[in-house]
Amino acid sequence: MGELVYLGMSGGVDSALSAALLLEAGYNVKAIYMRNWSKDLPGFKCPWADDLADAERVCVTLGIDLDVWDCEAEYKATVVDYLLDAYEHGRTPNPDVMCNQTVKFGTFAERAFAEGADFVATGHYAQNVPGTKKLLRAADAHKDQTYFLWRVPGYLFERTLFPIGHIATKAEVRALCAERGLGIETKPDSDGICFIGPVGLRTFLLDTFQKKQGDVIEWETGKVLGTHDGAFLFTVGQRKGLNIGGGPARYVVATDTLKNVVYVTSDLNCPALWTRHMELSDMHWISGEPAANGRYVVRTRHTGALVPVTFTLTDNQCGFIEFDQPVKTVAAGQSAVLYDGQEVCGGGIIEADKGILEQFM
Amino acid sequence: MHMPSVKPEHPTGNVYLDFAAATPMDPRVVDAMIPYFTEKFYNPSAPYALSRQVRDEVERARAVLAHAIGARPGNVVLTAGATEANNLAFATISEDAHVIVDAIEHESVLACAGIFSHKTLRVEADGRVDPERVAKALKPETELVSIELANGEIGTIQPIREISQVLAKERSRRLAAGETRPLHLHVDASQAAAYLSVNVSSLGVDMLTLSAAKLSGPKQVGLLWASDDVRLRPLVLGGGQEGGVRSGTENVAGVIGFACALALADETRTDEAKRVSRLRDQLQTLLCTEFPQMIVSGPKNAKLRLPNLLHVSFPGLEARRLVILLERLGVSVGTGSACAASKMQISHVLEAIGASREVAAGSLRLTLGRTTTEDDILYAAWAIAEAVKQESARVGVTWEN
Repeated sequence: MGELVYLGMSGGVDSALSAALLLEAGYNVKAIYMRNWSKDLPGFKCPWADDLADAERVCVTLGIDLDVWDCEAEYKATVVDYLLDAYEHGRTPNPDVMCNQTVKFGTFAERAFAEGADFVATGHYAQNVPGTKKLLRAADAHKDQTYFLWRVPGYLFERTLFPIGHIATKAEVRALCAERGLGIETKPDSDGICFIGPVGLRTFLLDTFQKKQGDVIEWETGKVLGTHDGAFLFTVGQRKGLNIGGGPARYVVATDTLKNVVYVTSDLNCPALWTRHMELSDMHWISGEPAANGRYVVRTRHTGALVPVTFTLTDNQCGFIEFDQPVKTVAAGQSAVLYDGQEVCGGGIIEADKGILEQFM
Repeated sequence: MHMPSVKPEHPTGNVYLDFAAATPMDPRVVDAMIPYFTEKFYNPSAPYALSRQVRDEVERARAVLAHAIGARPGNVVLTAGATEANNLAFATISEDAHVIVDAIEHESVLACAGIFSHKTLRVEADGRVDPERVAKALKPETELVSIELANGEIGTIQPIREISQVLAKERSRRLAAGETRPLHLHVDASQAAAYLSVNVSSLGVDMLTLSAAKLSGPKQVGLLWASDDVRLRPLVLGGGQEGGVRSGTENVAGVIGFACALALADETRTDEAKRVSRLRDQLQTLLCTEFPQMIVSGPKNAKLRLPNLLHVSFPGLEARRLVILLERLGVSVGTGSACAASKMQISHVLEAIGASREVAAGSLRLTLGRTTTEDDILYAAWAIAEAVKQESARVGVTWEN
């Protein structure tokens, strides 16, 4: 029998095809369903049991084992609580980044290697060179998921396989599933935060936090325009949910969760909505070594544009990126990921630009 | 009948063996319902002749239903299925009441009981409720005892008549002692009605639940029969339909279909029970011969088990995988109750009869119905044997003696 691969199986199309491709390549595949979250939210039945049933159907078809690993405790501690804490403090986190670091390439990889796996595999759209720490963008630029992988320690990629990272399009992934009779090729893509699903973040946050009325203030004038129901519910660039009656469309430029104030503007050219630089903290490098100062391309959201920047390391954990052209301000707490060509170097957490609220301090 | 060594001929290659979860509607039931969606669409409560006619037909259907259970039409409340009927039965008791249920009841009964001070009775290894246990569990505050006529997962038929006598004795005691608290026996007969008599007087019950969906009738249609002594309380408020107990415009087509389905079941019950039990026994024999260590759950005595149900376990195998393999061979079967299957927990019924986790995980529930044929049984037996052998080979389970 071939080398032993533990594959993270979600019940979706990508991991299903990954399983089939690994078997065809001669690996001995053991599929693991990570049960991260099974709580139902108001108006949303968590689909984990359905996802597990889909994963099981694929595994039975392929004749491989499927185990369910309960990862709810670490998922709650490192993803859900992290998300709640960030919002409470006016930051907008990327829970998927945390999930990859602590669950998929945390608990899952650790336990797989402890049980004797030669490799771990996932259905991520990403590429690597087993035996090296390198992480590379997927062949499919529309699906590339490397934005979510920047906090994974590179030594894990030495023993990781991304079986579908080289496939050019999602349509091709579906076609390859259909060819193999996996019976899953029509399952829709999941998007958004998996445990929140279609109810949306607002419902999720209000399941934990109380609404709290505060002022909506016009950034340019300091004038109170109306009220909101909790500054933690708002994020930079947001348009919806502002209770300020008629008038022009208004955009959130900043929130202050301590004072419970949301600052808005009606001017898309408002200087607070644009920036030429970002401060990064909590930086992490795939290779383990900070990247050299210099020119890189940066992405500040999943599959977002790759924008040229000049990067300077300011100390071990922090850095500074300067854009050639002004870019839209990004909410504090989001990830900025640095690329050198196809290769992911690492990234950091975007810090709030304190200058924006200077006039109100 | 012998276990086929090669894939048997079958007219469609599709065999359905999950009649306890859902039954295909009888074409005669569908035909009876159709006019009420189109030309007879009227609201039974409207004042003109056309709607009055529909109202009369609903009442005639109610009379048919009542007749089939040996009751008067005025005591039948039509509901949206058995779960609602069970909820309605529990709505009759006072807030401080005590209730008695057994551990293998349907979720709708267990959930309702959970709201009150309650005793969940243990059952025997074959699922039977010992009437003695009911007697011991009775308290002066007990107002309701709710026991299924037959269990839908392992097929156990409960000694309702004996339990009814236990309650009668307690009622006499209360009367003599001047205690005024009522005590009623509620029986959910949803899974039983296709094959067992559901006459309310011979069962000696005070309330009875039925479901059309388990009788080749439509889903979301059921009834609660309550004796004159029971004071019903509405759960759904509004226009006061169903004597004020269940508001909402009548599900006319559904009620017509329900009456037709129950009347058909009544006509064929005895013959059908014999026919399916013979097929069930054939299936059981074929599988037992092939897999001697297979475990059959539920009562050994055929008289105490639903004639259309066979619950089997293949210890060491995962039933969820068997279901998928069987689905690929065209055979649809259940793994215990449909509700539990989606939650990936061990079924509360199997837990209650003391099945080990291994036995529970390897359990299939096979239920036959009106459309099941000998061809179906032969094909299903072959497919189950194939699936079990394939999985056994994969995980290294052997079936030799």
